[in-house]
Amino acid sequence: METVLFYLFGAMTLGGAVMTVASRSAVVSAVWLVFAFVSAAGIFALLAAPFLAILQILIYAGAIMVLFLFVIMMLQGPVLPAERERRGLPKLLVLAAPAAAIAVIVIGWLARRGVTAFDGPPVEAGTAARVAELLLNRYLLAFELISVVLLVAIIGALALGRREEDRPWR
Amino acid sequence: MAIGLIHYLALAAALFLVGMAGVTIRRNSLIMLMSIEIMLCAVNIVFAAYSRVHGDLSGHVFVMMNFAVAAAEAAIGLAILVEIHRLRRTVNVDELKTLME
Repeated sequence: METVLFYLFGAMTLGGAVMTVASRSAVVSAVWLVFAFVSAAGIFALLAAPFLAILQILIYAGAIMVLFLFVIMMLQGPVLPAERERRGLPKLLVLAAPAAAIAVIVIGWLARRGVTAFDGPPVEAGTAARVAELLLNRYLLAFELISVVLLVAIIGALALGRREEDRPWR
Repeated sequence: MAIGLIHYLALAAALFLVGMAGVTIRRNSLIMLMSIEIMLCAVNIVFAAYSRVHGDLSGHVFVMMNFAVAAAEAAIGLAILVEIHRLRRTVNVDELKTLME
């Protein structure tokens, strides 16, 4: 069961990522990226991390991608002309090379060591309560600091978004 | 065949490389930003996989940190992009080389 789900979600995530990179239009890329992120939430669920799966959908597929789509909407129109790709780099080759490298590495690894399955006692699932327990005890300082990072990001985005004549530092 | 750590690592590595290829070959800075998000997502999968192997939820905490960093990166990156677009009417990185000249 896990095997089937892993290959399903893995293929969906990778396929979505490849289509994101390969699509010509930014809107199509963004939609494929949402698809890839939702599939990645399935991978998190397989890894006994239900809370992360929810967060992945809420934050990535929800908030971040809405932000991207808004910006694309603002920039779209005559201002995104057909993209000039760099010459001498056939796109498919560039995408296929990493995939081939990964396949070689994986096959070599499997041949040498065999598969290390997740064994031992089943781990506790990373539910919201369990993660919060860690987050608000051992990692409290990191948690507070990351909120400072977010605050600075908000201020930075606001400062960048102001009209030029309104900027106090001009 | 049982699914083990190596499978998740291979998936994450492939995702990361796809994102890296995107940053390298695409000239549209919006899509380059999206490729960076793909790379961050690959990192998150590695964190979650090792968290499962060790039975330690610390990895999940760091994935949440990574979410916050990704959100900040997207917000700032897109704000810079909008500003560049307002000044230069383009988001193609090949045309943005004022710093280089």
